[in-house]
Amino acid sequence: MAQSSYGTENNNFGPGVAYSQLDAALLVYQEAGGRVSATEPTLDLSIHGADGRVLTGGLVADAVSGATPNGAVPSTVSQNFVTPLKARGSTASVTGASGGSTIIHLPPTPGQLATAALGRQYTVAPNTLPVDKGFRDHRGAITLGWSQPLGAISDVGFGGGFSRETDYQAISANAHIAQNLNSANTTVSLAVNSEFDSSSPFGGIPTPLTVMNAQWKTQASRNKSQLGFVLGVTQILSRRWLTQLNYSFDRQSGYQNDPYRVISVVDPSSGQPTSTLYESRPDNRQSQSVFWDNKLDLDPFVTDLALRYYKDSWGISSKTAELSERINFGTAFYLEPNARWYQQSAANFFHYYLVGGQPNPAFASSDTRLGSFTALTYGAKLGFALNGRSEVYVKGEYYQQTGNGHPADAIGQLRQQNLFAGTKAAMVFLGYSWDFH
Amino acid sequence: MRRPLLIILMAGASISIAGCTAIGPKPWEKDLMARHEMLVDAYPLLIAADEHIYFSKEASSGGRGFAGGGCGCN
Repeated sequence: MAQSSYGTENNNFGPGVAYSQLDAALLVYQEAGGRVSATEPTLDLSIHGADGRVLTGGLVADAVSGATPNGAVPSTVSQNFVTPLKARGSTASVTGASGGSTIIHLPPTPGQLATAALGRQYTVAPNTLPVDKGFRDHRGAITLGWSQPLGAISDVGFGGGFSRETDYQAISANAHIAQNLNSANTTVSLAVNSEFDSSSPFGGIPTPLTVMNAQWKTQASRNKSQLGFVLGVTQILSRRWLTQLNYSFDRQSGYQNDPYRVISVVDPSSGQPTSTLYESRPDNRQSQSVFWDNKLDLDPFVTDLALRYYKDSWGISSKTAELSERINFGTAFYLEPNARWYQQSAANFFHYYLVGGQPNPAFASSDTRLGSFTALTYGAKLGFALNGRSEVYVKGEYYQQTGNGHPADAIGQLRQQNLFAGTKAAMVFLGYSWDFH
Repeated sequence: MRRPLLIILMAGASISIAGCTAIGPKPWEKDLMARHEMLVDAYPLLIAADEHIYFSKEASSGGRGFAGGGCGCN
């Protein structure tokens, strides 16, 4: 039993003891160049029974805003982009505009809107990465879970989640089973997860590879379903070494486009954009990954090394290595520097742009997140035990993607542009954890 | 595409399970394993926040847990 500065308090929160744990945290995220910023408070509560039953619940809120790359290439001349404004068919007057946008009047379009409506137009300066500054969203999510021993089975459980933002909704359900073997030095587990998402983008669902426009689209939403499992083995190898090996499989079917993202069609000799099309991604995606985590306790140092290999049916493969080193200074304070290296290959339908005069491929996206790049994360965490029952911690991280902004086959003016729209971001995470009876 | 991954998985699982009667500390040697920081999910909110950020900025997700992110951020 841990000793407490309060002397007579019961600070035993281990197995066989009924207790509750409250975790609260705040994430603040900011991208460089005035791009996305996010604030995310989270709250988790778990109630542990003495018999191994655990009830968990969580709440997450998100507020996200900022400029987002729209997928078009930069140009030596200024570019205009138009996108829907206000509600479907709205003709309400608009007195102002934000984020460098202007309001435009749309002529009636056969088959779409019977009357004139309003659209939003934003202009991107020459030699500048096209971004839409009108991006703003809020998200709320709730999760619930239950697990318990069942007869000879060490642990079975199920859970669910619901997440909603202005233009997206996700419902998920999961179940797991785990068995301890070999004096609880080995745990074998299987978890399955299913998710049902609905995308209702502002302006409706654009038809892939049609010209970007400000009209509201006739289709309001599309769905995506997901089914996956994780098979894992956790093994305590020695007094100091814990290892975990997971194999994951995941399958997604349905709408997987980013409805706001476009791709430029450029002139085959000058490289100047001649039109802007909505992107197009396949409806099906299967992915697999192998994840291997190692924790080594060389008191007062705790090393965590995690490796992951990922591969999917879109042609993307990635490698990830994460290392953290926790240094305990007595029982009241610790410092934990961390680093992460990540490298991915491009999806087989990733293109920086499409070339005019050639037939369009069935699928095309210029989303840098589907391109080839390397990302590095550096960070450090500081933790303070307030007493035997609670801990407060702060973690700061810097994240940077590096990619090829100057592909060898770039055409005309594109040779002088940086075509990689990767992310640089800083984040701060404040957390508080409290165990109580 | 799947064969190399399956071989790695099965080899790893076989080593773990076949060797488990011989591998691992005795119950009285688990003092270090009992520490909070040796849990694989010692700080779930931190892991969730990192995974959420990587999910929204990279093409890969999952491995440690389920793939996907329950949001429209990708």
